[in-house]
Amino acid sequence: MTTANHLEPYIQLSGISKAYAIGGETVPIFSSLDLKIPSGDFVAIMGPSGSGKSTLLNMLAGIDRPDAGCLRIGSSRLDQMGEAARASWRAHCMGIVFQFYNLLPMLTVAENVELPLLLKSLSARDRRGRVEKVLELVGLADRARQYPVSMSGGQQQRVGIARAIVADPALLLCDEPTGDLDRKSADEVLAMLRMLNREFGKTIVMVTHDPQAALHANRTLHLDKGAFIEERRAA
Amino acid sequence: MTLFDLARKNAWRKPLRTALLMLCVSVAFLIYGLTASFVSGSQGTSAASDDILGVMSAAGRAQPLPMAHMNRIAADPDVAAINYTSRMRGFVAVEKNVVAVSALDPQRLMAVSGKELGLTPELIDALAAQRDRVLVGRALAEAQGWRVGQSVTVTGFDMARRGGSRDWSFGIAGIFEGENASTDTYFMIADYDYLNAARARNRDTVDAFVVRPQASASAGDLAARIDKMFANSAAPTRTQSEKQFLEAFLRQYADVGLIVDLVVSAAFVTLLMIVINTMVFAVRERTFEIGVLKTLGFSGAQVMGLILAETLFIVVVGGGVGLGLAKLAVSFSDPALGLVFSMPVLARAVVIIVILGLATGALPAIKALRTPVIAAFRQR
Repeated sequence: MTTANHLEPYIQLSGISKAYAIGGETVPIFSSLDLKIPSGDFVAIMGPSGSGKSTLLNMLAGIDRPDAGCLRIGSSRLDQMGEAARASWRAHCMGIVFQFYNLLPMLTVAENVELPLLLKSLSARDRRGRVEKVLELVGLADRARQYPVSMSGGQQQRVGIARAIVADPALLLCDEPTGDLDRKSADEVLAMLRMLNREFGKTIVMVTHDPQAALHANRTLHLDKGAFIEERRAA
Repeated sequence: MTLFDLARKNAWRKPLRTALLMLCVSVAFLIYGLTASFVSGSQGTSAASDDILGVMSAAGRAQPLPMAHMNRIAADPDVAAINYTSRMRGFVAVEKNVVAVSALDPQRLMAVSGKELGLTPELIDALAAQRDRVLVGRALAEAQGWRVGQSVTVTGFDMARRGGSRDWSFGIAGIFEGENASTDTYFMIADYDYLNAARARNRDTVDAFVVRPQASASAGDLAARIDKMFANSAAPTRTQSEKQFLEAFLRQYADVGLIVDLVVSAAFVTLLMIVINTMVFAVRERTFEIGVLKTLGFSGAQVMGLILAETLFIVVVGGGVGLGLAKLAVSFSDPALGLVFSMPVLARAVVIIVILGLATGALPAIKALRTPVIAAFRQR
């Protein structure tokens, strides 16, 4: 697994605006939002419901586009990319961890983890090797042939993390990764994210409601009414 | 795992639904396989030659032609070989056991129809050895349980002997196989001279002349020239290829091809509706997962490909089973039914399978292609 260069700013948002049309009315989410996240950082984003956390994460994941402004991740201008280019960018540059894991029920653990690798030009042996390595990393090597339905929430989320990192992306986006877990499982998952950030230099952006979870990040940004109102750095 | 494995696992996530869909598809293709085999093999039209020409009376196939026409036809430089025939329809033992006897000149037989009927010089010699001998087609011999050396009596429907009897006795000299499985072999070949000498009416006339054109000649042009030759005679002719003749003959009863096309089209349109409806539901159930796949980096085209592969998988398996059953049924069917599961039938079925698979998958696939990820995530 590669490590990222800590000196370069990795994510840059400048003058980002986004609004939704709801029931004939235009509801602004952001107007002129700026953000810089250096490579290898671990950032938690908190804020009340409706503050724009999920919209921000969706834009960082390239599944939503800003109405205006510049959104650069690495060398890619996501705001200028078409749908197919953004899909390709997601396949190669980004991994995502969902709150409810979103594993495909008809696939085994190993097959779920292998999914992002189907989009890469790898031999079956290489794909198998990578899947075994990441499952070992998340402590589920012995569960490769099980189906997600037979696993606990914590285990399923570890499968979700394995799926997110199997293609070795530089950026990891986490959408409430502990929102559906008990405290013990949540701490295990957070420790794993911390390890991925520290040992493998993954840039992590985590949206969370949980202040305990945010403590694992290098810094926490508070978002409210479409603007960052506070920043706390880890001690 | 491959992308196809993913499509296959998607298809099997509701096994009962998929199995029922496959059953629908297999029944439709079983119907197609049997009906197309019937059309392919019916009366040997599929194997009938486009090159061999039949010269009949323009007044109708029941009207005789004078033997004198033969020398004028044979004089055309584009005629490679010619034979003449009188056809007798009759029955063996019981009236519903209908058989046909083609009375021809054995010496001319090999050059005109030897290849298509699978004749050998030994068979021709056996036929010519005695005037009341016949060669029996494989399909007819198997249907009747006849063997070489056996005697059979055919009672003619409209061909009587000079003494008034309509019973004609023949000794079976040999069995001809036909060029391939779809060749019509449900008839027997007799010596023209034997029937002509003994029959009460229409002596020295023929029902048709069978003409093989030169290899370099145009069969269509030759047919037109022959008809023009006799246009102002007492017995004008109508010349058609063997295939055209047999198809026209069948259409006297019904346009079998049209009926089959209508039945098969109805089956496939119904099938199309069922599969499209089911697949639209199946994909709608998975809208959220489509959002997940797109978030992982699957492009719209790849998701569309997955759904098309899924429907193709269902149609290919179902269609394959249906065609396999049809092939099996044809293999075990009575040869008298004339069912032939030929390569063109199979090739057409494969094309239909691919078109049907893509057509049924197109609507849900396009829907999945167009579904934005954000909208997909709202579906849970």
